Amino acid sequence: MTVSSSVGELADEASIDPGVFLPDAGEVQGPKATWRLAARSFRDNRLAVVGTGILVFFFLFCFVGPLIYHTNQISTNIANAYYPPSAKHLLGTDGNGFDELGRIMVGGQAALEIGLFSSFIATVLGTLVGAVAGLLGGVVDAILMRIVDVLLSVPLLFVILIIGDRFSNATVLSLSLIIGSFSWLVSARLVRGEVLSLRERDFIFASRTMGASRHHLIYKHLIPNALGVVIVNITFQVADAINLLAILGFLGYGLQYPQVSWGDMLSGALNYLPDGYWWVVYPVGICLVLVVMACNFVGDALRDTVDVRLRRR
Amino acid sequence: MTAYLIRRVFISLIVILGISLLTFVMTHWIAPNPGRAVLGLKASPAAVAAWNRAHGYDNPVWAQYWGYLWKLLHGNLGYSYKLNQSVASLIAENAPHSLWLSGSSVVLSILIAIPLGIFQAVKRNSVADQTATAVAFTAYSMPQNFLGILLIGWLAITWHIFPAEASQSEKIIPYILAWRANFLPIATLTITAVAGYSRYQRSAALDSLAQEYIRLARAKGLTERAVLFRHLTRNAILPMVTLIGLSIPVLLGGNLIVEDLFNSHGLGLLFFNSLSNEDFPTVIALTLIAGIATVVGNFVADVALTVADPRIRIS
Amino acid sequence: MSVPILEVESLSTEIQLSRSVVHAVGDVSFSIGEGETLGLVGESGCGKSITGLSIMRLLPNGGHITSGAIRLAGRELVKLKEREMRSVRGNEVAMVFQDSMTSLNPTMPIGRQISEQIRRHRSVTKKEALRQAADSLSLVGFPRSDERLGDYPHQFSGGQRQRIMIAIALSCEPKLLIADEPTTALDVTIQAQILGLLDDLKERLGMAVLLVTHDMGVVAGRADRVNVMYAGRIVETAPTVELFRHMHHPYTQALLASIPLLSQDRAERLFSIPGIPPDLTTPPPGCRFAPRCSRATDRCREEEPTLQPTEVDGHLFACWHPVDGPAARIVAPDPGKLATPAPEAPSAPPAGSEGAAAAGSPAPVRPPAARVAAAEPDQGVPLLVIDSAVRAYPVKSGILQRTVATVKAVSDVSFSVERGETFGLVGESGCGKTTLGKLIVGLEKLDAGRVALRGTDISKLSARELRSFRRDLQMMFQDPIASLDPRMRVGAILREPMRVQGVGTAASQRAVITDLLSEVGLPATAIERFPHEFSGGQRQRIGLARALTLNPQVVVADEPVSALDVSIRSQVLNLMKRLQQVHSLTYVVISHDLAVVKYLSDRIGVMYLGKLVEVGSVDDVYRRPVHHYTAGLIATAPEPDPTIEKSKRKVAIKGELPSPINPPSGCRFRTRCPAAQELCAEQEPPMRAFHDGHLAACHFPLQEPMRPADKEAQTASV
Repeated sequence: MTVSSSVGELADEASIDPGVFLPDAGEVQGPKATWRLAARSFRDNRLAVVGTGILVFFFLFCFVGPLIYHTNQISTNIANAYYPPSAKHLLGTDGNGFDELGRIMVGGQAALEIGLFSSFIATVLGTLVGAVAGLLGGVVDAILMRIVDVLLSVPLLFVILIIGDRFSNATVLSLSLIIGSFSWLVSARLVRGEVLSLRERDFIFASRTMGASRHHLIYKHLIPNALGVVIVNITFQVADAINLLAILGFLGYGLQYPQVSWGDMLSGALNYLPDGYWWVVYPVGICLVLVVMACNFVGDALRDTVDVRLRRR
Repeated sequence: MTAYLIRRVFISLIVILGISLLTFVMTHWIAPNPGRAVLGLKASPAAVAAWNRAHGYDNPVWAQYWGYLWKLLHGNLGYSYKLNQSVASLIAENAPHSLWLSGSSVVLSILIAIPLGIFQAVKRNSVADQTATAVAFTAYSMPQNFLGILLIGWLAITWHIFPAEASQSEKIIPYILAWRANFLPIATLTITAVAGYSRYQRSAALDSLAQEYIRLARAKGLTERAVLFRHLTRNAILPMVTLIGLSIPVLLGGNLIVEDLFNSHGLGLLFFNSLSNEDFPTVIALTLIAGIATVVGNFVADVALTVADPRIRIS
Repeated sequence: MSVPILEVESLSTEIQLSRSVVHAVGDVSFSIGEGETLGLVGESGCGKSITGLSIMRLLPNGGHITSGAIRLAGRELVKLKEREMRSVRGNEVAMVFQDSMTSLNPTMPIGRQISEQIRRHRSVTKKEALRQAADSLSLVGFPRSDERLGDYPHQFSGGQRQRIMIAIALSCEPKLLIADEPTTALDVTIQAQILGLLDDLKERLGMAVLLVTHDMGVVAGRADRVNVMYAGRIVETAPTVELFRHMHHPYTQALLASIPLLSQDRAERLFSIPGIPPDLTTPPPGCRFAPRCSRATDRCREEEPTLQPTEVDGHLFACWHPVDGPAARIVAPDPGKLATPAPEAPSAPPAGSEGAAAAGSPAPVRPPAARVAAAEPDQGVPLLVIDSAVRAYPVKSGILQRTVATVKAVSDVSFSVERGETFGLVGESGCGKTTLGKLIVGLEKLDAGRVALRGTDISKLSARELRSFRRDLQMMFQDPIASLDPRMRVGAILREPMRVQGVGTAASQRAVITDLLSEVGLPATAIERFPHEFSGGQRQRIGLARALTLNPQVVVADEPVSALDVSIRSQVLNLMKRLQQVHSLTYVVISHDLAVVKYLSDRIGVMYLGKLVEVGSVDDVYRRPVHHYTAGLIATAPEPDPTIEKSKRKVAIKGELPSPINPPSGCRFRTRCPAAQELCAEQEPPMRAFHDGHLAACHFPLQEPMRPADKEAQTASV
């Protein structure tokens, strides 16, 4: 069969010889599942792995650490103040005679709790506002977005200091509420943008031609697709909240003594450094930077992961 | 273009009105009873009521807001009972110092961040890029006060290169001339800003580099220098203009931290001290000013973008 | 053959990715002589663009030439230093890219974008360079070109920008021009203008042209010789006519056979190449086409054939079992007599035993509930009636964003579609065909007029009533990526219509999904996969399956195959036809591609700037067009046939599409019409009948309109 010309013959050959059988549409290629693809691209990002590692370490350090490394964090003992690091006090003691390492663990608990809780509040608020604005559009959208504009124009720190001023007795809960209820603006804008762009996608049109209700569109298409953006934003939100908390603590608007967070522990730093008490300043600061950086690493990697998955092919 | 700008002014005015409403609400939140706040805890209830009546605080809320707006429109920002001075004059005294710190650090950070970000994008994944990214990431993840503490710890306390306190001159000219004293506060502000801007500039430049017109420019046989300067830079900077406008509130917040840390007499420290002294009119007025500054800054950024981008200018 | 300007010898190019290496171009050799146009054709990912970029040495990140030589007028380019190469680029070799929107710098005036290249390669002053830039612009057809030097790219239309890019490329009079899909993003009428311009300039400047394209119609008309690429290899090279008449490679043969022709008999099935091209990170060991080739033997799968000569000078091919000449097109059984689905020839039946069963016996038809309802008599009304449909969008402007004008995307359009018929809508981008499609399925609201299904005006229905009507009106989308929710598995995507409409139990839904998948030729394992795991053609099959889930009566297909490669396109076209017969579907097919619309449709409507200008049966519209626009469109559509293409040298439709915000008065086509007179500007032409069911709106039609009393005479004159 060197120069057969008819496609008909070719067809006959194909049907006679099932050995060269091919599925009509070709094979289905590609990896098994989306999450695995996502996991792979996440794992590829070394910084993300490092970031996750740091976060896991600090959670264990702050919440499990005190169970292993027992220190007195209840009663002050001025006689023990400002001991440099030693075998007894691995990171020395602070001005109240508390063991500094144990103090960092306790302060970290508050920082992580407030970071997570406030970003949860901010995410829920922001997602709701953004989704409502994006879905309803029109006047509601215009009003909500102007409110966001207004709140974004005023420095967050100013607002939080003013609001926080009336809470003379700040707790983990009250600080989380204050920080959370004023940091939803960015996520609201993000979610709104995502909703607006999703609304114009063909798969939404396809769903509408089936007669899908608004409810169906929102729960089956919009939320699952906007979720990626929201999740990515949570990690950045945590980083920002911990950062903000550190600043509030430093300015003296942090937790009420004897509760403590990392920022509060830095508030006297300018007094300690000239006296050479470096161990009450640098270790806690480094912990702060590491945790915030880890959140940013993870956030960046998650964002790339979400993007990669949507952009693939 | 004119219609666009007029619309933009209109929206800015609405936002400023919103800010005034917000500060008005905050006034009530922070000091539900202004008479008590001014006269102190020892004053008799009758005196407090009389004070409130005299200052219109017994009027309905909308009338109070209208009165507030009316005063603002006439440039009356309120009166600081604690310092016995009009808020406007307080701001006028302190503003130059803050403007110098913020202004010089913004200019410096733009001058550093834009070339750095573009350089990183062009040399993407090189050792230099990765080092710069790592440094920027660290600085970006650092609470600004800790950055300041680090700088003070090393450069002021350990090595005595720069003083740990900003210049205490009340006059602005000596303040500006005292560059050694102001080095650390400006450095603190600049490092944080560079970290944020350069990360953004790098990704904006990467986006531009991926554009077809860069490939066409290379296909013309242009030198890499010409490709970067003529085709990449301008397009890559455009998104930065908006970002700088948007970052004003963060910069103002940073000013507060730095002025507190380095004890520099500016608006940030004024805000902080007023808040501690329960001098609420000053606190509220500063918040309002910060909000308006942001709106104006965003507007200026938009105008700059309109001028710089022919797609908006000629449409 | 004249002296070669460009000689490429055993060029191999690889692209290093993070985890793998793409062997994009392997062992490619060819040469181009002065004044010659060499066509480089192939499907996406075959390495044709990478070949062009290799010559420019402008490979994407990670790309590098691994071996081979590229000689430009005898000078070796691969070994040149980058600095020396820069003075070759733009000077001796120039390139025109596909996307003129993104290829021009948006913030630089076009004059400078042209003059900077002149200044780079010629030592002239700024002023002189700008003057030469203006000359280049006039060369590519800009009148008063010096006045436009200061304008920015966004102030030009797509076709004009492409001209600017050509002006840049030609400003230094290069020896070789590489045109990479220069007209793919353009409408056919503009495409013809640009290709004509390129041809004209090639002759005037005596350059060599490497024309990289996926479009066999474009190479048929413009190339002197053609290289066919597949999976990084040149599989066949020959002078154009020889290649189209006496090809030897099965891929060339199959590729050409899978393109619908304007002269195509609609009853013929299109040839289709099963499967998809190989992944070039791990190319198959033998002949790269073997996995999709019906002639493949063990030798093909083990040993790679090299290019071998034939008795015709310059005709080489790489195949162990060559064919001789084009494939005969197969005639499928008459659809009217069709009781069982068309035999699965020549493409193989779908996967698995169910697939084989589907091909041999009547297709597993789903519960015929909807079908029974559909079989009710319709009191003689057409299934679908579009009556004076209008859709207008407001144009907002000014400080208060007031509506200053309206764009009538669809302006007073009327036609009807009978049951079981395919109605095709053609027109260039911006003519309103997509909006019309959305109006039909209720995705857009009518501003006036009506859309009636089985006599019921769906625009008047309440939301609840409309919901049940939607079952009968489904849509197939152009973009197979965007139309499937990336977070849903295929099973959920296909189940969604049934869930929304509350049809069937979980078990019956599953049965429907399995049936549908085998009907569209996908393996049952697809249920568990996500859309991104499929190729474009496969995704389009999923889209079609979804549209069919509810057993609709009407499917509106908006550019169903435009995003697909030629070989995949014919698979989907065949599938659409087969499913139409099996499910007695009514299609409304929307496309800019005349051959596709003609192949699928019984009747056709031609749209221009929101107006329906001509409507009639396929034969009426294609053989006896009345409107000058229709005639022009037919004349400009490139056909994969060198004799037809080389005979049409004249540009059929001049100018560009006017702004829809401010359409021309009277007849909207008059600004581009060869027959336009004063009357056309004053009066809008009414729809007149030219034949039974053949209507057109033109004052000076290409045929005499039918007079009510004189039907016979009219028919005779045709």
